[in-house]
Amino acid sequence: MVSTPKINWFLLILFSLGSMAVFVAALIFPSFRTIAYAPLRELILPPPAPINITVLYSTEKETWLDEVTKNFEATSPKIDGHAIKISLEKMGSWEINAAVLDGTRKPVIISPASSLQIAALQDSTTTKFGKSLVNPADTSSCRSVLKTPLVLVAWKERADALWGQEPGASVWMDLNNALVNPQGWAAYNHPDWGYVKFGQTDPLKSNSGFMTILLMTYSYFNKTGNLTSSDILSNSAYQKWFLDTENSVGQFAESTGPLMTNMITYGPSTYDFVTVYEATAIQQSDNAVGRYGELHVYYPPVLSWSDHPFCVLNGDWVTPQQTEAAKQFINYLTGNSAQELAFQKYGFRPVDNSIQLNQPGSPFEIYAANGIKEDLSTYPNVEIPDGNVLNILRDFWSRNVNR
Amino acid sequence: MKNRLGVFFTVFIVLALILNACSQIPGISSVNNVTVTVIYGSEKQEWLDPLVKQYNDAHNKTADGKTIIVQATAMGSIESINGIIDGSLQPTVWSPASSIYIPVANAEWKKTHSDDLVTGTPNNLVLSPVVIAMWRPMAQALGWPEKALGWADLAQLATSTDGWSAYGHPEWGLFKFGHTHPSYSNSGIVSIIAEAYAGAKKQHDLTQADLQSPELIRFMTDLEGSVIHYGSSTGFFADKMFTNGPSYLSAAVMYENLVVAQESKRLSGDSSQIPVVAIYPKEGTYWSNHPYIILNASWVTADQKEAAGDFETFLLDKPQQLKALELGFRPVDPSISLSTPLDAQHGVDVSQPKTVLEIPSAEIINDIQTLWTQVKKPVDLVVVMDISGSMNGKKITSARSSLMEFINKLADRDQLQINLFSSSITTLTPLSALGAKRQQVLNSVSGIFEGGNTVLYDAALDAYNGLKTSGDPKHIRAIIILTDGEDTASTASLDDVVAKIKADQGEGGNSIKLFTIAFGDDADKKVLQQLAEPTGGKQYDSSPETIQKIYDDIATFF
Repeated sequence: MVSTPKINWFLLILFSLGSMAVFVAALIFPSFRTIAYAPLRELILPPPAPINITVLYSTEKETWLDEVTKNFEATSPKIDGHAIKISLEKMGSWEINAAVLDGTRKPVIISPASSLQIAALQDSTTTKFGKSLVNPADTSSCRSVLKTPLVLVAWKERADALWGQEPGASVWMDLNNALVNPQGWAAYNHPDWGYVKFGQTDPLKSNSGFMTILLMTYSYFNKTGNLTSSDILSNSAYQKWFLDTENSVGQFAESTGPLMTNMITYGPSTYDFVTVYEATAIQQSDNAVGRYGELHVYYPPVLSWSDHPFCVLNGDWVTPQQTEAAKQFINYLTGNSAQELAFQKYGFRPVDNSIQLNQPGSPFEIYAANGIKEDLSTYPNVEIPDGNVLNILRDFWSRNVNR
Repeated sequence: MKNRLGVFFTVFIVLALILNACSQIPGISSVNNVTVTVIYGSEKQEWLDPLVKQYNDAHNKTADGKTIIVQATAMGSIESINGIIDGSLQPTVWSPASSIYIPVANAEWKKTHSDDLVTGTPNNLVLSPVVIAMWRPMAQALGWPEKALGWADLAQLATSTDGWSAYGHPEWGLFKFGHTHPSYSNSGIVSIIAEAYAGAKKQHDLTQADLQSPELIRFMTDLEGSVIHYGSSTGFFADKMFTNGPSYLSAAVMYENLVVAQESKRLSGDSSQIPVVAIYPKEGTYWSNHPYIILNASWVTADQKEAAGDFETFLLDKPQQLKALELGFRPVDPSISLSTPLDAQHGVDVSQPKTVLEIPSAEIINDIQTLWTQVKKPVDLVVVMDISGSMNGKKITSARSSLMEFINKLADRDQLQINLFSSSITTLTPLSALGAKRQQVLNSVSGIFEGGNTVLYDAALDAYNGLKTSGDPKHIRAIIILTDGEDTASTASLDDVVAKIKADQGEGGNSIKLFTIAFGDDADKKVLQQLAEPTGGKQYDSSPETIQKIYDDIATFF
């Protein structure tokens, strides 16, 4: 005969109270939810609202960002038990600034193509709202995630005719001289190439176009820092030189990827030289094979970097939880797997210094023959000017060239 | 009771099925459909037509479940934008042969609207450079392929009174050149801009002062002097050249893909013509880039924008881009390599062109168009109009009004003669420049009335002989014959007329062209076709409702 076991009332009450406590805690603190009894939890407790992180980002990193965002969400990231949900919206780098300034978008994170836009936004938001909506000094909430320098891409035969094997320190001057020469390529013994054609993106819409005019301006004044508003506004020789170059551009492309595609599909008939990112050139190099001769990458003597900052906005619409979730997302983007992907598949330079660029199969090895250089440590970089100076340069272009 | 319920449910289910089926049929339930109308440059018809069908057959849907129906119509690029600007055409999408006319279109549109008609940078569908298509032996006689050829070489050839004799080929006669009409077709406008640049010896920065220089004007006049006639669309022009052969036309401005298409035909045995090659003008050319423009116009709804975007994505997908390559276009998808049929065997060189010409401002383009009307080859035209008794009523009224409209399209330098025929032939106005007599001619035409028999052959022969004697062989010479019935009273026979026309065909493209209009069902269309076709002209079927369109089409030749 089997005897019925005695109920231990003390343990039963303790268990019941414990369960109720977990339930109540789960209701109040979503992080307790995971230890609540699953069937009952799903039946009674509503799932905690996800934390939505909206990201306005520049188009050059679209495919990489789509891919790593899926990977990030697949890790079921949470803050206090709330799932983190990422919503991506792509836009031109300067359009991001405009959307934040006029309030048509209220994102948690912005990621333009470069810190130039962050500097400009710091200046503009301080003027407009009395406080900056971005804080690049705080690297936990605002830091660079990918790097790629602005480069000149040219049909090698034509670059050889203009500057020989490598452009010298006077590359921007050389380019300007060729563009304004009414004889065009005839002055370089190639009358069949017509007039000299240079392509860049629209500096009001796209970062690479703005980096181009910034590099030209620095180059004119033969300096790498301390660019001032009077340099731009008070020097008529510079203004003429600058506008001659810009007015020679047939049509300003809206963004960098399509400009490179046009360079490849139309060929040297339409573009002799264009400015794009090193990563864009790497991504599209294979498509140029077997068309119009060799397409080659040239580094300007002083570099400007597209460094893809991801910055959490200091806006009153961003909650502390969103800030924490956004930081978690940024940490993931600068982590090893996302960085490896950006480097191997998309030709960006990782911010994770532990990743070696010279490893086998690296795009920096594969495209070395096309002029891609792995080591740029000997190249000086231009300083990011004060946001006010950046806005003045944009205005100057807008008033005199915009079409 | 049970039976009644059964019947009720059966009827209910059948009705439901019918309603559901109806919603799947285009046009039955328009609420569930969104129609995208596309007006596009005719050069890509062979590529686009089957793709429209394929896309519609797939019953693609918008995000909210509406079935997308694409209706596409081919039309000359300049003709279509003029229709959009004057409101007679209201498509969702405009896809001209190139972007060159967009600044002009926006400038015209903004005269009556606050926004641009074309905003942003539209995507291109396919690419093809503008080339001069020339029969290979002729190109070789000019030194091709070792020597790069261009507009200046054509102008030199055009001014030579010896024609091809100067190049060792007297049997080819005079140099006969062609491009489409710049008021209707993209390749026509491209041709005259390129001519202007070549005349100014420039490749960019063309100015109004350049357009006034006597050298430029002489250059354009010379080159236009060798044009056999103009035309409404590039595809049509290519057809003329490749059907009628080298005696008709030595060279014409068209797109690289049309050369490839012709060479594919020749290589497969579908054309017996000699080979043709693409000349990439050494001074520079333009790209035909086929932009896909979703119009920024009030008649385009949000649904249509979305649906048009979906169709655009379909056209840019790799399988559709590969089909474009098969037809001789250069795909815009950079991952597709420029392989066969884009090769020397098909008359083209993908390493070309070496340079393009700068696109001038809208203002300069307008000025070039105006200049062209002054330097273009004039026409000597005889209109032969049937005023027999059967033309009474609506026929004579519409024939009169459409002729008056047509007369207004001719330039002052054009020479016009009008002959009326019934039982006999009367000359309403003799062959002379229209400028001084335009109003008087219009008044005379408005007074035309009908009566009598039909001496069609006599009237045709009379006009032909008259034009041959008094017309200027350096002008485009053409006769338009409008008739509504069979010949009833001529002394000449059909054979007499045909024999006369055929005897003159040695002049090739420069011979007198006959355009015949069968006005109503009683006209003998076969006879009219026999008269028109050997001359490079065209036979039209018409009615009082369509006669205006026929005259509009004929106008594109001049």
